[in-house]
Amino acid sequence: MLAWIFDEEGDKRILQQEDKRLEIIVSPRGIVDIERPGQGVMDLSQAGFGQAMLDFTMCCPEYELESVGKRKRTSRKRPLVSEHPEKLYDKVRPILDRCTQEEMSLPAAYAPYPCRDTKREDLKELLIRLTEECIRICGRAGCTSLIVRPLFSGVKPGDEWEVNRKYYLHFLDLARENQIMILLENQCRDQNGHLVRGICADGREAAQWVDRLNEEAKEERFGFCMDAGACSLCGQDMQDFTCSLGKRIKAVILRDCDGHTECSMLPFTCAAGGQSLTDWLGLIRGLRETGFDGQLILDFSDTAGAFSPILRPGLMKLARSTAEYFSWQIGLEKLLRKYPSIVLFGAGNMCRNYMKCYGQQYPPLFTCDNNQAIWGTRFCGLEVKPPAALKGLPDTCGILICNIYYREIEKQLEDMGIHNIEFFNDEYMPAFHFDRLEG
Amino acid sequence: MISIGVQTKNVVYDSDPAAGYEMLKKAGFSCADFSLNSYLPNFSLYQLERNDFFDRSEAELEQHFLPHKKGAEAAGIVINQMHMPYPVYVPNGGTALNEYLWNTVARKSMYICAFFQCPYIVVHGFKLAYNLGSEEMEWAQTEKFLDSLAPLAKELHIMVCVENLYNSIGGHLVEGPCCNAGKMAERIDRFNARHRGELLGFCFDTGHANLVGSDFESFLTTLGHRLKVLHIHDNDGVGDLHQIPFTFTKTRENTASTDWSGFIKGLKRIHFDRVLSFETAPVLSSFPQEMKEQVLRFIADTGGYFCKCLSPFPGKTGQSL
Repeated sequence: MLAWIFDEEGDKRILQQEDKRLEIIVSPRGIVDIERPGQGVMDLSQAGFGQAMLDFTMCCPEYELESVGKRKRTSRKRPLVSEHPEKLYDKVRPILDRCTQEEMSLPAAYAPYPCRDTKREDLKELLIRLTEECIRICGRAGCTSLIVRPLFSGVKPGDEWEVNRKYYLHFLDLARENQIMILLENQCRDQNGHLVRGICADGREAAQWVDRLNEEAKEERFGFCMDAGACSLCGQDMQDFTCSLGKRIKAVILRDCDGHTECSMLPFTCAAGGQSLTDWLGLIRGLRETGFDGQLILDFSDTAGAFSPILRPGLMKLARSTAEYFSWQIGLEKLLRKYPSIVLFGAGNMCRNYMKCYGQQYPPLFTCDNNQAIWGTRFCGLEVKPPAALKGLPDTCGILICNIYYREIEKQLEDMGIHNIEFFNDEYMPAFHFDRLEG
Repeated sequence: MISIGVQTKNVVYDSDPAAGYEMLKKAGFSCADFSLNSYLPNFSLYQLERNDFFDRSEAELEQHFLPHKKGAEAAGIVINQMHMPYPVYVPNGGTALNEYLWNTVARKSMYICAFFQCPYIVVHGFKLAYNLGSEEMEWAQTEKFLDSLAPLAKELHIMVCVENLYNSIGGHLVEGPCCNAGKMAERIDRFNARHRGELLGFCFDTGHANLVGSDFESFLTTLGHRLKVLHIHDNDGVGDLHQIPFTFTKTRENTASTDWSGFIKGLKRIHFDRVLSFETAPVLSSFPQEMKEQVLRFIADTGGYFCKCLSPFPGKTGQSL
């Protein structure tokens, strides 16, 4: 159902129809000021985001790690977290307090990481100290998962697994104590300015890493966070990547980019010639196939940062709708399972796509159409009836609008006193058939 | 022993093939990748149009290519690989066109390949994941096509090689057919076991791998002995430009943004000793015609440099990979 974009009633209906197991989480980067988080958190909350990511990189960004110990600081007023990891909690506290005030929970977190092109090989101990602090804070804040990027700088080719095995297992006891799941993440490698596949970018290998870590942990303490942006930057087949990792994927970072430049844009905003530059079809197909029900983390920090603060409240609402759209698309079959019986509205390409992809598993009673000329005919094995035929349906029957004029038809049906109106959508189908109807 | 080759496109012409092969030899090549695909261009196929070149009988085609064969032999150039016209399946192309591509173009290409005594023919896998729903289902269709060629491949002593390709998402080039080295190694082994012979191999395309951010060393190492032929060329990671290796940089340090070091390491690890074949025809159309010989020589020299790097006892090569 797409009505949430336009009215609040529609929003509530969608949230009820889903299992509510897929959590929508927003990254506060580019939106919330770490020292004055009030307005940013309020904007997110008012847009309907109830969950945010605790992003420790906002307190200890890449550039700070890159210059740690290199420069003489002129001001000592504000201690740098990279120099004093024990100060991380103080630094993050304003955002924690503000989220509590706004009743916004923080179920996922991101540990600090170095630049992709860093040449520094001396940051391992600091990263360990910072990550330990992150785990402790996560425990206090009720955060259940922490994304920890694998070590890469200074790691000799061939040693990646052994070095990272030790690195991740180092956090095992602390993670267990604080009830945190540590999530590995797929990486890009900087090949002299060209981002290519890095550590954990091979789905099958990453799955082995997670399994081996969990075997050593003797429990499911490690999982995977799939960064859709990194996949896109490396031109990866997201469906294949997702399916390789399957249920090990506990979180997905949803961000758009042009496929070449590292950035986090609102999905669907990186486009050319009216087409998105990111393989959303592959991502949605993959997450559907694997029954993804984890954390969907929306990161649109660069889009948000580029917008004027005056416009941000509107942008936040669009972002929320976008995340819900993904959640809805991923769980599309939940909609089909919701009603014991269904009827379609529309006897065109979308109806045909429904019948080809879902007709056998979820057969409709019939379809109806406003075109009088086809009443009484059959289309894709379904009888085409006039809209008036919907009036005699039982209360438990769902009506799926299979026509892009969703809102116009929805109003027509509401005016007829019809209930259980839902939208079907064929933009991200499990398969697309070659032949389309003319006209 | 490692040899150096290049595409015949933009060098060897039907009007005087011998002169083209002579030019290749003079530039320093000993092998050539015969651009059979030039005779049925992909851009016209995507427009659902085709010429009548492959309507000719096998005898007529042999007659047509005889001067090429003689010219190559006279110049001492070995046609070690050729490129079958592509695509061999056009979604929405209709039954007539697709049957023609599959049954006529593909089969006649195999006979032409045998006529040249060329051991490898490179084919493109079908691009059908969008329509069919997964890469596995896409491969199943490609495999049907390869199965149909297998008896002919066996009879003619030709190995068919599939290459890593890309797809376009709004102009952003992403992973396409045959880009997962692990899967491809398994599939090639399964195919060859089923057909009781080494009939299927792999062609690693450096440019396509660079476009989709593949890890060259890991890809090549995973393929191992299944790697039979190469398409060596460079790009900016954005477009399929088919330029000379080491052309592109992206930082102020101006170091190569394509992982040529990984390429060499990978080839070394699998003890590659075949042909370093360049797929750089567009370079020849961008440089002035008057510089063609120098440009070809430079491409061959780049191959020579790779050759040195792959040697177990490399001399001083200037730039360290």
